[in-house]
Amino acid sequence: MSAPEAVAPPAPAWRGALRRVPWQQLTPLLALVLLVVVGSLLHPSFLTATNLFNVLTRSAFIGIIAVGATFVIIGGGIDLSVGSMAAFLSGAMILLMNALQGGALSPVGVVLMGVGMVLGSGLVAGAANGLAITRGRIEPFIVTLGTLGIFRSLVTYLADGGTISLDFGLRGVYRPVFYGNLLGIPIPVWAFAVVAVLGAILLHRTRFGRYVRAIGSNQEVARYAAIRVARIRTLTYVIQGLCVAIAVVLYVPRLGSASASTGILWELEAIAAVIIGGTALKGGSGHIWGTVVGAIMLSLIGNVLNLTSVISEYLNGTVQGLIIIGAVFLQRGRQGR
Amino acid sequence: MSEPILVGRGLTKAFGPVEVLHAVDVDVRPGEVHALLGENGAGKSTLMKLLSGYHDPTAGEVLFDGAPVRFPDSNAAEAAGIVLIHQELNLVPDLTVEENVVLGREPHRLGLVDRRAARARAREMLDTLRTEVPVTKRVRDLSVSQMQMVEIAKAVSREVRVLCMDEPTDVLTGTETEVLFDLMRRLVADGVAVLYVSHKLDEIKAIADRVTILRDGALVGTFAAADLTTADMARRMVGRDVADMYPPKRPVPADAPVALELDDVSVPGHVEGATLHVRRGEVLGLAGLIGAGRTELFEGVLGLRPMHGRVRKDGRPVRWRHAEDAKFDRVAYLTEDRKGKGLLHEKSLRENVTLQALERFARPFVHDRQERAALEAAIEEFDVRVARHDVAAGTLSGGNQQKLVLAKLMLTEPDVVVLDEPTRGIDVGTKRQIYFYVAELLARNVAVVLISSELPELLGLAHRVVVLKDGTVTGTLEGAALTEETIMAYATGLRRDPPPTPAEVPRVRA
Amino acid sequence: MNRSFRILAAVATLAFGVALAQTTTIGVSIPAATHGWTGGVNWWAAQAKTRLEAAYPNLEFVINTAGSPAEQADDLEDLIAINQIDALVILPFESDPLTEPVASAKDRGVFITVVDRGLSRAGIEDVYVAGNNTVMGQVSAEYIIERLGGQGKIVVLRGIPTAIDNERFDAFMALVEPTDIEVLDSQYANWNRDDGFEVMQDFLTRFPEIDAVWAQDDDIALGVIEALRQAGRENELFVVGGAGMKEIIKGVMDGDTLIPVDVLYPPAMIATAMEVTALKFVSDVPILGRYILDSTLITPENAADYYFPDSPF
Repeated sequence: MSAPEAVAPPAPAWRGALRRVPWQQLTPLLALVLLVVVGSLLHPSFLTATNLFNVLTRSAFIGIIAVGATFVIIGGGIDLSVGSMAAFLSGAMILLMNALQGGALSPVGVVLMGVGMVLGSGLVAGAANGLAITRGRIEPFIVTLGTLGIFRSLVTYLADGGTISLDFGLRGVYRPVFYGNLLGIPIPVWAFAVVAVLGAILLHRTRFGRYVRAIGSNQEVARYAAIRVARIRTLTYVIQGLCVAIAVVLYVPRLGSASASTGILWELEAIAAVIIGGTALKGGSGHIWGTVVGAIMLSLIGNVLNLTSVISEYLNGTVQGLIIIGAVFLQRGRQGR
Repeated sequence: MSEPILVGRGLTKAFGPVEVLHAVDVDVRPGEVHALLGENGAGKSTLMKLLSGYHDPTAGEVLFDGAPVRFPDSNAAEAAGIVLIHQELNLVPDLTVEENVVLGREPHRLGLVDRRAARARAREMLDTLRTEVPVTKRVRDLSVSQMQMVEIAKAVSREVRVLCMDEPTDVLTGTETEVLFDLMRRLVADGVAVLYVSHKLDEIKAIADRVTILRDGALVGTFAAADLTTADMARRMVGRDVADMYPPKRPVPADAPVALELDDVSVPGHVEGATLHVRRGEVLGLAGLIGAGRTELFEGVLGLRPMHGRVRKDGRPVRWRHAEDAKFDRVAYLTEDRKGKGLLHEKSLRENVTLQALERFARPFVHDRQERAALEAAIEEFDVRVARHDVAAGTLSGGNQQKLVLAKLMLTEPDVVVLDEPTRGIDVGTKRQIYFYVAELLARNVAVVLISSELPELLGLAHRVVVLKDGTVTGTLEGAALTEETIMAYATGLRRDPPPTPAEVPRVRA
Repeated sequence: MNRSFRILAAVATLAFGVALAQTTTIGVSIPAATHGWTGGVNWWAAQAKTRLEAAYPNLEFVINTAGSPAEQADDLEDLIAINQIDALVILPFESDPLTEPVASAKDRGVFITVVDRGLSRAGIEDVYVAGNNTVMGQVSAEYIIERLGGQGKIVVLRGIPTAIDNERFDAFMALVEPTDIEVLDSQYANWNRDDGFEVMQDFLTRFPEIDAVWAQDDDIALGVIEALRQAGRENELFVVGGAGMKEIIKGVMDGDTLIPVDVLYPPAMIATAMEVTALKFVSDVPILGRYILDSTLITPENAADYYFPDSPF
C-alpha cells in the first residue's frame, strides 16, 4: 500500500483531542457504569458501601488471577489450569497449616509458613506449565488442560473426595486477611488494587511487558529481534502461578476450606474478564485496567441478578451471557469495517 | 492496433483522508504486456487493484470491453476474465497443490470431488508452465518460487482475458523467470492482455510492449517500451536523474582486521562445512540460487537455528546459542522475510524501532520520550517517509518498512551486519539509499555480509563474493573474477573450487 | 491412561474370575467425587466393598467412578463386556441418558439395583434404594414453620437445576405457601460453598429482615454461615441445611444455635444398596422392591447416631 503522503487539514485542537480518546477501549468501562446505574435503580441497597465492597471483594479472586491471565494471553498463550491450581494450592496450604498447628510455631507463624509455601508452590506450578509449553514445545491449551486435570484430581485425592477444613485454632488468626479492613477498605480489595497496579507497571512500563506484547503480536519477529522468547513466555506463566497463589492466600480465610469443587470454572471467568477488558484472545495487545473492569463486571452481573426477583433465577445464565457478549460486541463492533 | 480491453478513466483512490491515486488514465490492449512502473508508494499496486475489480475507485470509472463496469467483488471480476495474482500469495498452505489449483472449481463426480480429474487438470496446468511442482505436495512444503508458479497455474486455469501480476518475479530464480516470460508471451499471442508490475527495469525492457509510469500517485505517462532505455525509465519514475546506483567502491585497507570468521560451519539439513570470513570495512557478498542455504547459514551462526562448527568474532571464539548473545557481541542480522519476521505490523513505529535495543530505553521503566527521540532520529537518518509518526508499521510501503527494520537493527550499534536480500520488493530510489547507507557503514569500519539474489547488487557493492551451491561453498570470487557469468557458473555447479586449506584462512593478529 | 489401565486391570480380574469360577461379580457405578456428598458416596462405597468382600469371599465388587453421564454409560459397557458382572449397583448421574444403557444390562440378565436417582422408565430395576427428596423438603419445611410459629421471612438457596432440586423445592414450597411465612427470594447456589457465601451476601444486602434460611445442603449452609458472620447478623436467624455432613452433625450435637438441626440425606445409601444386593447372592432371602430411606430430622438428641467422624463427608 502507498505511504499516506497527504496530510489531512488541521482540525480544531479540541476535536483532535476528542478523537484521540480511545472510545472503543473505554467500552468496558462504559458497560460497567451502565451496570452500576441499572443496579442502583433496581435496589436502594445497591449503592451502599457494604454491597459495593462485597462485589469488589468477590471480584478480587478472579481479578487477581485475571491479571496473571492478561500476561499469558497477551503473550499468545492460554492457561486453563488456574481454577484447579487454586483448589490444589488451597488444599495443600490448609493441610500444611493444620500439620504445623500445635507444633513449635505460633499460629501467626503457621499462617506465614502457609503463605510462603503457597507463593512458592504457585511459582513452581506456573513454571512447570511454562516450561512444558516452551521447552516441551506443546500447545498451551494441551499442557494446561492436562494440568487442569492433574491439579483437580490431586485436590480430590488430598481431600479424600471430601472437604479439607482449616483447623479452628488458626481461623481466628487468619480470618482478618479476608474479613479485615484497612482505612475502611477490605484487605482483598487492597490486594487486588496492588496486584493490578504492579501488573500494569510491569506490562506497560517495562521491557518485559513490551517483550510480552511483541511475542504475542508475532513470535518470529520477536525471535529475530534477539528477544529470548522461551524465557519471556515461561515467565508469563510464572506470573500467572504467582497471581493464583495470591488469590489463594485471600481465598482460604474466607471459608477455611477447600474441596474438589473449589475454583471450578475460575479459568473461564478469568479468561472472560481478560477478553471483556479488551485484550485480544490471539495475543499482542491488551490492558490491565481493562481486565480489572472485566473482573468487576462479572461479579457485578451476579450481584445485580441476586438483588432482583424480576428475572427468573432459571434465566440468570442467559442474562449473564448476553451482557458479556454485548460488552465485547460494542468494543469490537466499532473497530474498522 | 486493437481496441483496448480495459480502460481506466480518471481513476482516483483514497483510503480515509489520504488520496493515494490522483485521476489516472490508462488503457490496456489485448495481446500486449503492459507494465506499470513506479517507486514504492507511487500507487501502481492500487491502480492494478482498481483495474482488476479488487478495489472500487473513489472517483473515475473502469471500462471493460468498452462498457463501464463495477465488479461487486474480485470473484465477479475473475468470472469476467480479469485475474489478479497478489503480491502476497493467495494459497491455502495446508491443501495440496492440486487442491489449490482447482479450489472453488473442483470437478465433481457423483457429488464427490473427482480427485483423479482434479489431479489431471492441475498437472496439465503446471505442465504448460513447464515446472516440476509435485501436485500431491502440500503448498506449505513448497519453496516460495514454486508457490508462485502454482499461483500462476491457478490463474491461468481460469479463462483469463486480462492477467494482472504484482511483482511476480521477485521470488523467482532466473530460469523460473524465463519460464514465466515464455508463458506470458504465449498468453499474449493468444490475445490475452497482461498487466505487469515490477521494479526490475531490465525485465520490463525485455518483456513489456508498453510502460505506464506513475510517480506519487499521479500519471507520468504511457510509453512504448522500445522507446525507453532503462535509465530513461528510472529517471521518469524518480523524477530526477538517477546518477550512479552504487556508491564508489573503496578498497578494503590491507591491514583491516577480520571481524567475523566461520570455520567449517554446518547447519543440519541446509549447509555443510562452510568456511568464510569478513573484514572490517568490507562487504562480503553471498551468492547462490534460492535454496542454496545462504539464509540458513547465517541464521545458524546468529543463534536462530541449530548449527555446529567454529565461529570467531574479532578473533575470539564465540558460540551464540541465542540471537541475544549475538546482539551483545554486536552482530546483527536483517531478515529476508520482512513481512513475517521483520516488523510487528499492528504495532507503532516507535515500538518497532526500539524493540531490538530496548534495554537502552528501559532503566527499568521504558522511557517514552527517549523512544520518541530515537524514532525521530531514525526517520531522519533513514529518510523514512511517513505523514504521521503514530501509525502502525504495517501501513508503511515496503521500502519504508525496510528502512524501519534497518533502523531497528542499527540501534543495537552492531559492528558486523548481515543483510539478507535487503532490497527485495523495494523501489529504485530506496534501493539506492540502502546502497549508499552500506557505504556509510563501511566508512564507520563496520563489516557487512550481503546476501543477495540480484547479481548487479553483488557486483556493485561486494569486495568479494562467496558462492554457495546446495549448502556448500563452491568458490570465492574477487577482482577480475567477479562477474555475473562466474557467479552463475559457481552457483549452478558448473565450476567449483577445492575447499580452502587451513593455511589459506587468514588469521587475526593479536 | 486411566481407561486402559482399568481395562488391563479388568482383564486380569477376568482371568482370575475364570480360574476361581464361582465368584460373583457386582459392579458399582457412581459419580466421581466432585463435591462433598458424592465424596461421601465414594467413601461409603469403598467401605462397603472392603467389609462385604471380607464377609463373603465369593463376592467381588468392581467400583467405577464417572465424571459425566456419557462416561458412566461407557463404564457400564465395560462392566458388562469385560468384568462380566452378575449384578449392577448404579447411582445414575442423570436419569434419562442412563435409562437405556441400564435396560440393556438388564436384558443380559444382570441383577439391577438403582440408587437415589430413579430411571425414566419403570420396571427395569430389581431393587431401588433411595433417599427421599420430597420428604427431605417436607421435613425441612415442617421444622421451619414450627420454629417460626407460622410467620416470618425466609430466603431459599437452591442447588443445581435438576430433578432432585425441584422435588425438594416443590415439596418445601407446598407446605410453606399456605402459612404466613414469606419466601423473600430463591437463587441457585449450586451445592457449593463459595456460591452459598456470595448469594447470601447479596440476600443480606437486599433484605434487612430475615428470620430463617433454607440452604437445603450442608455445603451451601457453610458458605451462608460465613456470610452471616461477616455481616454480624448470625444472631438474628437460623439456617437449615441438609444431607448430614459430619461437621454440621457435630455442631448439632454440640447445640449450635445457628444451625440447630440437619435433615438427613445420607451418602451411606450406596452402602445400603450394596449390602442389599450382596444378600441376593449369599442368602435365600427374597430381595426385590423399593427401599426408601427416611429423611430424618437430626436434632441434638439423636445426632450421635448419625455422626461418622471417619467419613470425609
